[in-house]
Amino acid sequence: MRTIAEINDKICRGQAVVWTVEEAKAQAAERGVTAAAKLVDVVTTGTFEPMEASGAIINLGHTDPPIKIRECRLDGVLAYAGFGAVDLYLGASQVAEAGRLGDSLEGDELRDRGGGHVIADLIAGKSVQLRASGYVTDCYPRAALETTISRERINQFYLFNPRNLYQNFIVGVNGGDRPLFTYLGPLQPRLGNAVYSNLGELSPLLNDPDLQVIGIGSRIFLGGGVGYIAWEGTQHFPLQKRLPNRTPVGPAATVALIGDAKQMEPRWVRGCYFKSYGPSLMLGVGVPLPILNEAVLAYCAVRDADLVAPVVDFSIPRRVRPTFGLVSYAQLKSGQIAIEGRRVRTAPLASQYLSREVAIALKQKILAGGFELTVPVAPLPADRKFIPQDSWGAEIDVS
Amino acid sequence: MPITYRLAKDFNVAANIIRAQVAPNQVGKLVVELSGDIDQLDEAMEWMRDQGIGVSLVSREILIDEEVCVHCGLCTGVCPTESLKLDSQTFQLTFNRSRCIVCEQCIPTCPVQAISTNL
Ligand code: SF4
Ligand code: SF4
Repeated sequence: MRTIAEINDKICRGQAVVWTVEEAKAQAAERGVTAAAKLVDVVTTGTFEPMEASGAIINLGHTDPPIKIRECRLDGVLAYAGFGAVDLYLGASQVAEAGRLGDSLEGDELRDRGGGHVIADLIAGKSVQLRASGYVTDCYPRAALETTISRERINQFYLFNPRNLYQNFIVGVNGGDRPLFTYLGPLQPRLGNAVYSNLGELSPLLNDPDLQVIGIGSRIFLGGGVGYIAWEGTQHFPLQKRLPNRTPVGPAATVALIGDAKQMEPRWVRGCYFKSYGPSLMLGVGVPLPILNEAVLAYCAVRDADLVAPVVDFSIPRRVRPTFGLVSYAQLKSGQIAIEGRRVRTAPLASQYLSREVAIALKQKILAGGFELTVPVAPLPADRKFIPQDSWGAEIDVS
Repeated sequence: MPITYRLAKDFNVAANIIRAQVAPNQVGKLVVELSGDIDQLDEAMEWMRDQGIGVSLVSREILIDEEVCVHCGLCTGVCPTESLKLDSQTFQLTFNRSRCIVCEQCIPTCPVQAISTNL
C-alpha cells in the first residue's frame, strides 16, 4: 500500500496523515479497517510507566591530571565504572547509600532515592555531586576526584535501557495475610487490591504483536528526545503463548532502547521510588507505526476486551508463581475484577493520561516535519527461547 | 515535656507530638494529636489556655501536589473510601476531599511522593 520512504516524503511535504492509536481505533471502528487504512500513514503509540531496566551511559570527559575511575558515586548512587577510564553506567534502580568515598550526603537526603532520580535530575538541568576514586597508574596518576556535574558539563550522556516496553505484563495480587511491597507498589493482603502495569490497547508493542513494522534501528520518542530500538530487550520472549489475534497472554517481547539524554525533557523522565522495594525511573516512550498495509492497521485496531493478562499471586516468592487465570484489560480498566468470586479493586501503575500525551506529542513532532520514520536494519528475533535461572516473569502457567 | 506529662497525669489525655518548634527564650509551637475522653479533652484545653498557651484546632488533611503527580493511579487502589479516583475520560487523578478519612494509606503508595499531609 505504501512504503516508509513514501511516508517520509509526505512527512517532509507536510502531507502525512498521522493518528494517535486512540484515534486509529476509533476510525477503524467507524469506517472499517480497509477504508481507514487507505487514509492514514502513521499511527503513534505511547506509554509512560516505571521502567527499572534502564540506565544512563555517562562519559565525563578527561580530567587533568587524568583519572581511571575505580569507584564512583553520583549523589550517593554507585555508578558502574569497570570499562573506559571516565565511562560510567548509572542504573535506574541502584539505591542511594552512604559509601566508602566519604559522601557528605546522609540520612534524609539519600532516603528513597536512587539512580532514576539522579538521571531525572541531570535531565532537569540540576547539578549532581560526583565523588570518585581512581586506580593510580602511569597513564592515570590521579587518585581521587570530587566535583559537581550537570548535563552541560559532561562529555556524553545517553540512556541505554536494556529492557523497556514489555509487550504485555502481569497483574499482581497478594493472596497471603501480610502486606507485600513490590515493584508494582503495595499489594494488600487477602486480595486487597490488584495492580496492572501495562496499558493494554495503548501499549506500543501490543499494537504490532508480531513486531512486523518495528525492529532494530526504528526511530522512537524517548523521554522527549529521539531514540532508537537498539536490540532485543533482556528477557525478550516472543514465543509466549498467544491469542488468535497474535497478542501474548503474558510478558513477551521486549526491546533495548538508546537515545541522547541531553535532548530529553524532564516532563517525560521522572525518578520514582516504591516503598520497601526501591527506586526506578518513569519514562515516556512513543513508537510510531507506519501503516504499510491494511493488516498493520488491523493489528492497531485491537481493543482492551481482546487483550488479556495473568493474575499472579505475589505471596508465593518463587520464579513461577501461581496464577488466578487471565483477565481482560477491559475488566482491569473497569476498576474491579473478580477473583474466585470476590470483587477486587484494580489500579494501574502506568499513567494512562501521560501515555496519551506521549502519543499526542509524537504525532505533533511528525506533523511538524521534525520526525521521520526509519526502516529497521534487522528484525527483532521471533523465536528466542527463555532460559530461566533466577529471573522470573516470562514463564507463566496459564492453563 | 512537662505539658504532655501534665496532660497525661491530670487529664488522662495522650499527646502525640507531630511537630515541635521549641527554642530557648522564644515562643514555641507544638502540633500535637490529643486522644482521650471528650470531656477531659475539653478540660485539658481549658487548663492549657489558663496557662497562657494559645490553643487552636486544626485537622489533618491530605495534600496532593499537582506539579509532581504523574496520574499513574496507583494510589486509587489502596484508598478505602474511593476519594482518589481516575477520571474516566481524561484519566487524570481526582480527589474528593469530603470523602477522605485521612487514613494516609495513599501516602507511602505514591511512587513520586506527590501526597502529603498539612501537618
Ligand atoms: S488518606 Fe485514606 S481516605 Fe484519604 S485519600 Fe488517602 S487513602 Fe483515601
Ligand atoms: S500515586 Fe501519586 S503520582 Fe500516582 S496518581 Fe496517585 S498521587 Fe498521582
